[in-house]
Amino acid sequence: MAAKQGAATTTYSPKIIARTRPPIFKNSDLDWTRPDGRGFHQCRPALLQTGAVSSASGSAYAEFGNTKVIVSVFGPRESKKAITYSDVGRLNCNVSYTTFASPALGSQGTDHKEYSSMLHKALEGVIMMETFPKTTVDVFALVLESGGSDLPVVISCAGLALADAGIMMYDLITAVSVSCIGKSLMIDPVTEEEGCEDGSFMMTCMPSRSEITQLTITGEWTTPNINEVCLSIILLSPFSCCSGLETVVFLFSLLMLSLCLKHMILIN
Amino acid sequence: MVACSVGEQHFLKGGIAQELRTDGRKNLTYRHTYVETGVIPQANGSARVRIGGTDMIASVKAEIGRPSSLQPDKGKIAVFIDCSPTAEPTFGVSFYLALVTCVLWFLLGRGGEELSSELALALQKCLLGGKSGAGVGINLSSRLIKEGRVCWDLYIDGLVISSDGNLLDALSAAIKAALTNTALPKVQVSAEVADDEQPEIDISDEEYQQFDTSSVPIIVTLTKVGAHYIDDATEEEESQMSSAVSISVNRAGHICGLTKRGGSGLDQSVILDMISVAKHVSETLMNKLDSKISAAEACEDES
Repeated sequence: MAAKQGAATTTYSPKIIARTRPPIFKNSDLDWTRPDGRGFHQCRPALLQTGAVSSASGSAYAEFGNTKVIVSVFGPRESKKAITYSDVGRLNCNVSYTTFASPALGSQGTDHKEYSSMLHKALEGVIMMETFPKTTVDVFALVLESGGSDLPVVISCAGLALADAGIMMYDLITAVSVSCIGKSLMIDPVTEEEGCEDGSFMMTCMPSRSEITQLTITGEWTTPNINEVCLSIILLSPFSCCSGLETVVFLFSLLMLSLCLKHMILIN
Repeated sequence: MVACSVGEQHFLKGGIAQELRTDGRKNLTYRHTYVETGVIPQANGSARVRIGGTDMIASVKAEIGRPSSLQPDKGKIAVFIDCSPTAEPTFGVSFYLALVTCVLWFLLGRGGEELSSELALALQKCLLGGKSGAGVGINLSSRLIKEGRVCWDLYIDGLVISSDGNLLDALSAAIKAALTNTALPKVQVSAEVADDEQPEIDISDEEYQQFDTSSVPIIVTLTKVGAHYIDDATEEEESQMSSAVSISVNRAGHICGLTKRGGSGLDQSVILDMISVAKHVSETLMNKLDSKISAAEACEDES
């Protein structure tokens, strides 16, 4: 029975859910092409992999176009810095860039404090901290190549790495950024687009709970514009942003299921 | 950091649920605001803003610099925030007794330094707009003296003297007041020089010009405690918050920036609701603040 199930699922492809969504971008906006020839509401081709670092409790590698990120999760392990008892766990996040991540000279592969704190904020609402009291979970992200929308890729990848480490979460986390140039809104901008954007919008959400854990907006936005982006991202995220993630999670849960089955077989 | 007992927590949350907070305010009412301008003679512009127990000084210093090669038509602005250790023991190591708590807080990642950089980052996001320069609160082009050569570099410094919650709102109000107070001397640039030479500059002692600060946004922070959200939270209330959203709104009613603090997630409809509430609140707050700033300016001129 178990073998039959396994055989059936080897050729799994994500189910396409028939749901209509309103057009996010009007036709009048589509009068110029993006540097990589994508549509305005199209994400870059993504590659997501778990288990990239063998020494970590969980790890993931993500590639969105030219943005390449590796995230490893260590723990839950003893808090080295903790002085007092705490009945909820601690989360420690660090985002760093390699020296060759961006073409700018003299960038010494430094830690990115701003991104570290934003990653922390994005993740703390998703992880069930009370499941690992007194201990710390370390999330280390390394941007191998910076090709635009670095932080959203880091956050999505971190969510995957946490799942791979078996850390309890309310939902898998996904992040996406939107750039506003002139009247057009474009999803998942590359570095060139980020450099000339009028405004940017970064949102982290838990798709199945449609809950926003982190949101930053810069530049000037009108309220209808924000409403539009907010609503479209929520609608969009289960499709373009998460289809890859869902695949991986599905594979991951499949793995767990198969382990459980094996365990049951052993007991019997 | 305030520690509340369970009873106090219930009292706080119950009050907010019934639109009557511990200090007698309604959920969307600000504490008494007090504005004083021109408090630091060494700076080009300065202001002190008090909102309840929160006390801030903002100063604007200007120096002549070169615009960056990437944006030759714009001046530069830097925002620094300093959380004085006297404001709260967790901000520094000034007292022996505070040392232990400080180390603790610092290790937990909430020391004064981290708070300062977080506040500065949020303000930078709200004041400087998008990368192309759209939607800026402070018009960077007006700081330009000669394209590609000479511009004003503005250094905005905020100092938290005393902290009783709602730091970001108070800081944005203080910065707006300080910018209104700022007077830059008129500068004459010698007409034509070779490309690689720095032109001669003549700074006038008598003539000053002021900024147009009407487009500088203010920040409204809505703090979610339980199922309700409140304006201008005190430190006690902030210790009970689940999340807080800081929204910067300009005079036109446009959103110039938004940052979220606090762990728990929010439903998107709640965020959209918060944005519309913040827009509404900011309108009255902006009018109140403007009249206070002009009163303070008039007061300074008299003395």
